[in-house]
Amino acid sequence: MTKILSVENIELYYDHIYALKGVSIDVDEGETVALIGANGAGKSSILRAITGLRPVKSGQILYEGQKLNGTSASEIVRRGISMVPEGRRAFPLMSVKDNLLMGAFTRTDKAEIEQTLENVLTRFPRLRERYHQQASTMSGGEQQMMVIGRALMARPKLLLLDEPSLGIAPKLVQDIARAIVAISRDEKVSILLVEQNSRMALSISNRAYALSTGSIALSGNSKDLMNDDRIKAAYLGGEI
Amino acid sequence: MEQIIANGLYLGAQYALIALGLTLIFSLMNVLNFAHGQMYVFGGFVTYTVVVQLGLPFIVGLFASAIVLAIMGAAIEKFLFAPVVRRSKRDESTMLLAAGVAFFLDAVILLFFGEKQRGVPKIVNGVFNWDMRIIMPYDRILIGVLAILLIVVFIAFMNYSKTGRAMRALAQDKMAAQLMGVNVARYSMIGFALGAMLAGLVGGLLVTITGVNLGMGGPTSIKAFLMIMIGGAGVISGAIAGGFILGMMESVGLTVLSAYGDITYLVIFATLMIFLAVRPQGLMGKPWG
Ligand SMILES: Nc1ncnc2c1ncn2[C@@H]1O[C@H](COP(=O)(O)OP(=O)(O)O)[C@@H](O)[C@H]1O
Ligand SMILES: [Mg+2]
Repeated sequence: MTKILSVENIELYYDHIYALKGVSIDVDEGETVALIGANGAGKSSILRAITGLRPVKSGQILYEGQKLNGTSASEIVRRGISMVPEGRRAFPLMSVKDNLLMGAFTRTDKAEIEQTLENVLTRFPRLRERYHQQASTMSGGEQQMMVIGRALMARPKLLLLDEPSLGIAPKLVQDIARAIVAISRDEKVSILLVEQNSRMALSISNRAYALSTGSIALSGNSKDLMNDDRIKAAYLGGEI
Repeated sequence: MEQIIANGLYLGAQYALIALGLTLIFSLMNVLNFAHGQMYVFGGFVTYTVVVQLGLPFIVGLFASAIVLAIMGAAIEKFLFAPVVRRSKRDESTMLLAAGVAFFLDAVILLFFGEKQRGVPKIVNGVFNWDMRIIMPYDRILIGVLAILLIVVFIAFMNYSKTGRAMRALAQDKMAAQLMGVNVARYSMIGFALGAMLAGLVGGLLVTITGVNLGMGGPTSIKAFLMIMIGGAGVISGAIAGGFILGMMESVGLTVLSAYGDITYLVIFATLMIFLAVRPQGLMGKPWG
């Protein structure tokens, strides 16, 4: 299989405090990779490094075989990487429609944008019902669907999801997990899924990395990790 | 009564346009543009130069004001505000810079256009008279209608164009906008240029009615800030509401209060202070929408 993303030994600092000290991650084409770890482990920092929101101190990030370091965030989107940020970050005063159209900001193929929009609305029927509603008036779950749809509007080759289950009603977490599986099945997209809900993440991914205070503690096949005693003790205990 | 409303609408439309530019810049960059009034005066002088000195039609002058101010706004953003915003985390830095730009523009206006009051000859003659109830010169009506038209175009642009949508996105969530591929530097510059252009357009419109002079910059900035404080900073609807409310208050004041001397603005300030004490975020205070 060909690698779409390869993060090689990156270090990332906030002021003088490190958040990542030598992290390496690979994502193959078409694969769903989970990144699990406790709050503050550095999961979001990895995604910020990939999307160009935050510079790395050392190490490199290769996407489709080319270096991403130093590329601006807006250029990285154009290259085919879309992120659903932690906490959703919907445009609160925009309608669902405008939020989705913002997702296609980098595209100029009008007719095909319409087609993608139609696909997204079919995938998330709730968004069609709420098409003209202001985003801030929707529930957390609906907003999460919307921002996933917004990311899909760019037709990404690599989709980064930062804790899509955060602050969502437990019943809806399942819907979101199903949606991620369906996206991976239907679209030509590789997925890097960051989650604190490790059980959910491991159950819908091919491989996984466990992050612990800025470095990878464990990695492997998701099924194997699910039964790994260390993972059970550290990440699965107590969760539903 | 009808006369007061007509005057208020006419004034309010101009004011709303000025406030829209100011609030656009604020919502995108968190910059309070104290030089907004000077930009308005500059726009007036550009139209004056094109129409009176060069003898070209009024519409050409108006376009020239728009273009000159858009370029000036873009340059001021790119070479002054953008570097300061990048280097400084403190809001005061851009406030001081904006105040500096205001003084600088005053000096530039003095240098190029002098200290004299300048005007443009009436663009249409005649007076509209509805049964002595509303009496308004046709040129005022024309300028008022043009201003309202510009407001409508601006709102449509912000709501339905891709650029407008990107600017709203940037104002609502900068990080999310970046993740959509919006180039923050470029769109901040476009927003600043657009805000300055609106100020210049109003200057070009009003130079035909009231004329412009060097001293108008500061007071106009203050009025613009009043409007966005009334309506709520960073909101389109707030800027429009603030503009029309101030226009209406002035119109009422000039008719009703003129008997007691020049106290209109005293009353407006007093009212505003009480209003802001009760509702500090203004009428529609919330982030840009
Ligand atoms: N903007 C920031 N400024 C300073 N420290 C930060 C910032 N963002 C994150 N951190 C710190 O970096 C570490 C990793 O954070 P993050 O990547 O957000 O972790 P996670 O997503 O796994 O919860 C944490 O210790 C956090 O406190
Ligand atoms: Mg996080």
